[in-house]
Amino acid sequence: MAKTVTASVGGHHVELSNLDKVLWPETGFTKAQMIDYYTRVAPAMLPHLKRRPLTLKRYPDGVEADYFYEKECPAYHPEWVQTATMPSRNVRQKVNFCVVDGVATLVWLANLATIEFHTLLSLGTDFDRPMFVAFDLDPGEPADVLDAAWAAERLRDTLADAGLESFAKVSGSKGVHVYVPLNTATTFDETKAFAKATAQQLESHYPGRIVSNMRKDLRGGKIFVDWSQNDPHKTTVCAYSLRAKARPTVSAPVEWEELAAARKRRQPGDLVFEAWEVLQRVEDKGDIFAPVLKLKQRLPK
Amino acid sequence: MPRAIWSGSISFGLVNIPVKLYSAVRDREVHFHMLHEEDGQRVKQQLVCPAEDKVVSRSDVVKGYEVSADQYVVVTDDELEALEPKATRMIEMLDFVKISEIDPVFFQHPYYLVPDEQSGKAYGLLLTAMRDSERIGVGKLVMRGKEYLVAIRPYDTMIVLETMHFAEEVVSASDIEEMPEQPEATERELKLAGQIIDALADSFDPARYHDDYRDAVRALIDSKVEGREYVMPPPVEEEGKVIDLMAALEKSLARAREQKGGASRPAKKEKAS
Repeated sequence: MAKTVTASVGGHHVELSNLDKVLWPETGFTKAQMIDYYTRVAPAMLPHLKRRPLTLKRYPDGVEADYFYEKECPAYHPEWVQTATMPSRNVRQKVNFCVVDGVATLVWLANLATIEFHTLLSLGTDFDRPMFVAFDLDPGEPADVLDAAWAAERLRDTLADAGLESFAKVSGSKGVHVYVPLNTATTFDETKAFAKATAQQLESHYPGRIVSNMRKDLRGGKIFVDWSQNDPHKTTVCAYSLRAKARPTVSAPVEWEELAAARKRRQPGDLVFEAWEVLQRVEDKGDIFAPVLKLKQRLPK
Repeated sequence: MPRAIWSGSISFGLVNIPVKLYSAVRDREVHFHMLHEEDGQRVKQQLVCPAEDKVVSRSDVVKGYEVSADQYVVVTDDELEALEPKATRMIEMLDFVKISEIDPVFFQHPYYLVPDEQSGKAYGLLLTAMRDSERIGVGKLVMRGKEYLVAIRPYDTMIVLETMHFAEEVVSASDIEEMPEQPEATERELKLAGQIIDALADSFDPARYHDDYRDAVRALIDSKVEGREYVMPPPVEEEGKVIDLMAALEKSLARAREQKGGASRPAKKEKAS
């Protein structure tokens, strides 16, 4: 077939190239399959991308080859691709982020071999205001995703004691991410301090299993509760984004009961979802992460 | 294999160690040529005398030092050559100092020093002696008709030579007029700043940092080599070829399914880690 083909998507023309290229050598998952996944998951994923400045993690030669992070939206982007400029006192440090406002941009970025979509915690309209608090629970060997799930549930309970509802998604690898929707006026200073205090509180309750210090040598067998992502310059992987792992796994939202059930069954595999499973889940459950965008909560003073 | 750019010997005390100099960093910049937009020909640079509007050949050019506006003294190549430091082919070690005494602002360019076959022992001796004493050598080197201040220091299993700036080349902080006052921070601010630093504290892993701009330039060039022209809007006459996204993907998806015998939907994965 021709190397490139122009497709009509969401009212725009998008050039697609090298569709047969295998991006996940272990499973043979191709770029066409990735674009197909992103197109189908778009109804659930797009609300989490909308207005949100994006960092691209691109793998031009697949997950086993070199990749690069791209903060700056490629200069050759089509004119209909939205961007958001992060203000900076230093003109040279200004960043023009891509913003996905529709399926056409999603497909255009996927065609550039963007496997992972990482978003700022703020919106492109106000870079100083996080919309949620994010925790990244990362198990240190030999701890696994089930241990991360256990820690996530403890975190959920601690947050509930503070009157806050939280939501979980799996990282697509071994971790679990917990988001606390705010959608109210706040600052990164507040969210970061809150996240750090919460992580330290957990650590003091479960010193043998949870660690809040990012030093890698403290992590062995414990769950690192990373609170430092609550920063205006940091990004977290977007819900429903594929991950560049051996298999095409997804950072998929999960229900708290699913975490508990997987722990009960002692099946780490229950918390790893590949692209096709996520499409099935979205069809069955809808977007269980939707409250993260809507629920208004305030941090305790 | 990189080429040696200088050879000579390190002299310290009574020992002479024959060495070759290799650059320890390489240029990874993306270089462009200048082309004539109309026909894609590489353009040539020429020297032109504006008074006669005439091309001047390089052999008819002399060096002039601007004394005041449009006033030059002419200096000939012979005169300059006579002043050039003697190419002694010797790195003479003058002092051995603590590395912490040299601020990185003085370092210019790193080179590897590689001993010749017979000098491994003396080279190893110098390397170990510097490591044990925690001191590095400061000396002088003549290369390409220029005198360099250099430091030699242990790095891994090699001796690295750093060309250095002379003191008069380094701009002192007080020379920068735009430097604003620095009112003292409050204890709370200091504590917060310390917390931010703690939060980002990590060990230095150079492999983590990339030149994103260069990567992007390479990606742009690769996409052009592959015949994709993102810069151009889709031409109007291609309208007829535009197909529905699903139609565009379908063939490729079918091929992928064939290849994996439907394996893109595994029955149920056993354990994932």
